[in-house]
Amino acid sequence: MSQESTTPSKYAIHKRLLYRIELLNDTQFAYLLLIPSALVIAVIAIWPLIRTFEMSLHADALLSSDLTGAFVGIENYVEIVTNERSAQMGSPFFDMSQPFKSALIVTFIFTLVSVTFETLIGFGQALVLNKDFRGQRWARTAIILPLAVPIVIQGMIFYLMFQPDIGFIVDPLSNMGLISSTPLANNFDATVIVIVSDVWKTSAFMALLILAGLQSIDRRLYDVAKVAGATRWQQFKRVTLPLVLPVVLIAMLFRTVLAMRVFGLIETVSSCNTVPSLSCMVVSTFSNGLYGTSATIAFITAAIIAVVVGGYILKYRESAVA
Amino acid sequence: MIRNPESTYRILFYFATGGFLIATLFPFYYLAVIALTPRGNLYDVGVTPNGFNPGAFIEIFQIAPLHHFIFNGVVLALLTTAIVLVIASITGYVFGRFEFRGRIPLMLIVLAISYFPPAAFLIPLFEMLTGNLTVFGLSSPDLFNTPGAMVMPFSALFLPLSIFILTTFFSQIPDGLEDAARVEGSTRLGALYRVIMPLSAPGLATAGVLTFIFTYNEFFFSFLMTDGSADSWAPLVWGILQYQTQYGELYNYMAASALVGMIPVAMLVLFAQRHIISGLTQGALKE
Repeated sequence: MSQESTTPSKYAIHKRLLYRIELLNDTQFAYLLLIPSALVIAVIAIWPLIRTFEMSLHADALLSSDLTGAFVGIENYVEIVTNERSAQMGSPFFDMSQPFKSALIVTFIFTLVSVTFETLIGFGQALVLNKDFRGQRWARTAIILPLAVPIVIQGMIFYLMFQPDIGFIVDPLSNMGLISSTPLANNFDATVIVIVSDVWKTSAFMALLILAGLQSIDRRLYDVAKVAGATRWQQFKRVTLPLVLPVVLIAMLFRTVLAMRVFGLIETVSSCNTVPSLSCMVVSTFSNGLYGTSATIAFITAAIIAVVVGGYILKYRESAVA
Repeated sequence: MIRNPESTYRILFYFATGGFLIATLFPFYYLAVIALTPRGNLYDVGVTPNGFNPGAFIEIFQIAPLHHFIFNGVVLALLTTAIVLVIASITGYVFGRFEFRGRIPLMLIVLAISYFPPAAFLIPLFEMLTGNLTVFGLSSPDLFNTPGAMVMPFSALFLPLSIFILTTFFSQIPDGLEDAARVEGSTRLGALYRVIMPLSAPGLATAGVLTFIFTYNEFFFSFLMTDGSADSWAPLVWGILQYQTQYGELYNYMAASALVGMIPVAMLVLFAQRHIISGLTQGALKE
């Protein structure tokens, strides 16, 4: 009995709700749909960031059991960028005289070199994989495979490769004087090895994205170019490159953000003491209970990424839109 | 003097393909060489294994429950993918198909979230997920050593990517289709679920596969949000590190476990490769 009496009214409420939704204008409807996502994002991302920012304005709690000490305003920020916290961080923030030991320079070198090589190699791989040939499907799977390698395994591979005594790679290279006999403990060599391992893995990611871009180019454009007598190089320069450039730029932007946050790879291949990236500094100060300093470096890192991304968007906006 | 540019081009093409394949596959080969070499012979290993000990692939399971760690990793990645897809599809739909006040600032906030290193989320999330946070007199649940403690930070990390993939994907579905459904008498939500969602299946598949791969491969929170035992939902990272820390430097086991740990994501790439590319081709990155 009760079933019968509630069902119609439930149905009516349902219908009225749908009708209400139909009456909303686009903006109201958009915000209605965003409510659940906004709640989740607020709890798992925005609130933690606000809390971390608040901690970055407090001193490290060295003696008390609290997470942080007294409110100090922007003192943490000032002291970090002026290298006054080098002792706590284990490495200076920015020191031209020892570039492979200062967090900011290491992060920039890693990002610039690895993103450049990833883009060039990934582009080359995508061009090859865009052709039809026998075994193309297997070649695609093989070349994209490193994309799927977990960071801990990627790190393990290069750790084992450059571990002296085990393999056949370190001895010949160090005999030629290219690397030291214990490369993973040397600032410069370890940075290069971390970059090589990053390039190995993420060229595949670039290749995947650029290949998708190449696939969406209208084939008829090449027929037109051939009829017009264009050589392969001209076809590449006049058709392929301009059409795929927006995809390349977006892929580079994505990789730049991720590269500037590098941590896990360094920790598994070498160590944060040897290759001190900004994210490494966040983690090492965190592990030492210096939560104020740790939070501040995290925000400095995000600010630097924001500046780089902003500059990037401004510079390439026109070519990405065209 | 190049006589025949076409055949020169072909030779160059095969050289490039061969070169890329060797460079890509060499590290896997090197792992196999180390894994197959008996532990006693692990010095100055050449280009082929120094002896032959396939038993390493069985011994690793006797030392640590590697399969359990892999299982944990897969479950965590599936849970994260489900959460991310639900949230990102709604958000992507709104961003991709509506012009409304505040759209650009909201999208910039989502983009800015991805600028922060994972460590920036760590302390508050750790507090919240270990039950040390009190809001209005209620303390948060203690999720440490449960899937929840990792799935939440994973979702926060990988949401922005899926939101952007799906935003561009939704924005490319012609307005006419949705309008036609509305004229036919479908409600707004009806049009969303009957017209837009089915059309966006390739985009959802791409975003889902990438989220699964990135989550399974994640390092930071996987490392910090459990105590590291398989029974506490510790994922792959901890399984691999078992052979590095607890038992000294068991290089051949490290290599063997690395090869085994890759199997789930390698299979995914093998089977989903074409779908990922077509999903990205149809939308995703086109402006």
